[in-house]
Amino acid sequence: MIFVTGPLMAGKREYIRAALGLSPEEFARRAVWDVQNLAAEAPDLSALADALSQREIVIATETGGGLVPVDPAERAAREAAGRLACLLAQRADTVIRVCCGLPQALKGRLPC
Amino acid sequence: MFTLVIGGAASGKSEYAEGRVLALPGRRIYLATMHPWDQECRDRIARHRRLRRDKGFETVERYTDLAGADIPPGANVLLECMSNLTANELYDPNGGGEEAVLRGVDALLSRCGHLTVVTNEVFSGGGAYGEDTLPYLRSLARINRRLAARADTVAEIVCGLPNYLRGGPLP
Repeated sequence: MIFVTGPLMAGKREYIRAALGLSPEEFARRAVWDVQNLAAEAPDLSALADALSQREIVIATETGGGLVPVDPAERAAREAAGRLACLLAQRADTVIRVCCGLPQALKGRLPC
Repeated sequence: MFTLVIGGAASGKSEYAEGRVLALPGRRIYLATMHPWDQECRDRIARHRRLRRDKGFETVERYTDLAGADIPPGANVLLECMSNLTANELYDPNGGGEEAVLRGVDALLSRCGHLTVVTNEVFSGGGAYGEDTLPYLRSLARINRRLAARADTVAEIVCGLPNYLRGGPLP
């Protein structure tokens, strides 16, 4: 599994789709994105990470860089999103961070 | 040559960018884009002016339409910063929108020696923004990606240290 992360609107989907040469249809079939939004509702983050890892490409937006949210639910959601990202990175063969559309391999190697 | 420098608030991106321009021979132009709206802006501008003192920069202030800025041909230009310029082009009555930002950078690249642009990493704090803020973020994100795609060097600054997304230090 390839895990792609990075800031909001950094071009994560565009990058990995182009890097793997996938059509939009193929990409939609093989990838799952915005998984940070799934974390808050998940009763078991490890089980969610296991399930997501069955997909070829998993994409999450980094959400932990701002101030601690005042709202407790937002706070919990952000916490869960960060933990989920760590669990996904553990399970991934390759972890890529995309910033300004440019990739860096944090684990494994960039697809050529 | 074109260098893009990106970093969060107080990450040391200005100092890094200035240091990079200082290593280049020739005239140095500091292209300042912040509109001095209030005292806080004026204080910030004064702090940056102090940082640049004795570094041999000539300051040119330009809030919109970079294409019309008076830049000596061949000078090394440090543009700071893209988040202000984008806000000016989007919201100032004289602004020309996102395209005006990119047109302005094109104009600079065709005229100056080495161009160094400082931009802001404001995209890591989640996505819980309203429709008043999202268009600005989308524009700045698109501009950052477009600039990164054509830059020779892209340096993300963390604690004052460069993480090179492309290229590396000047030889």
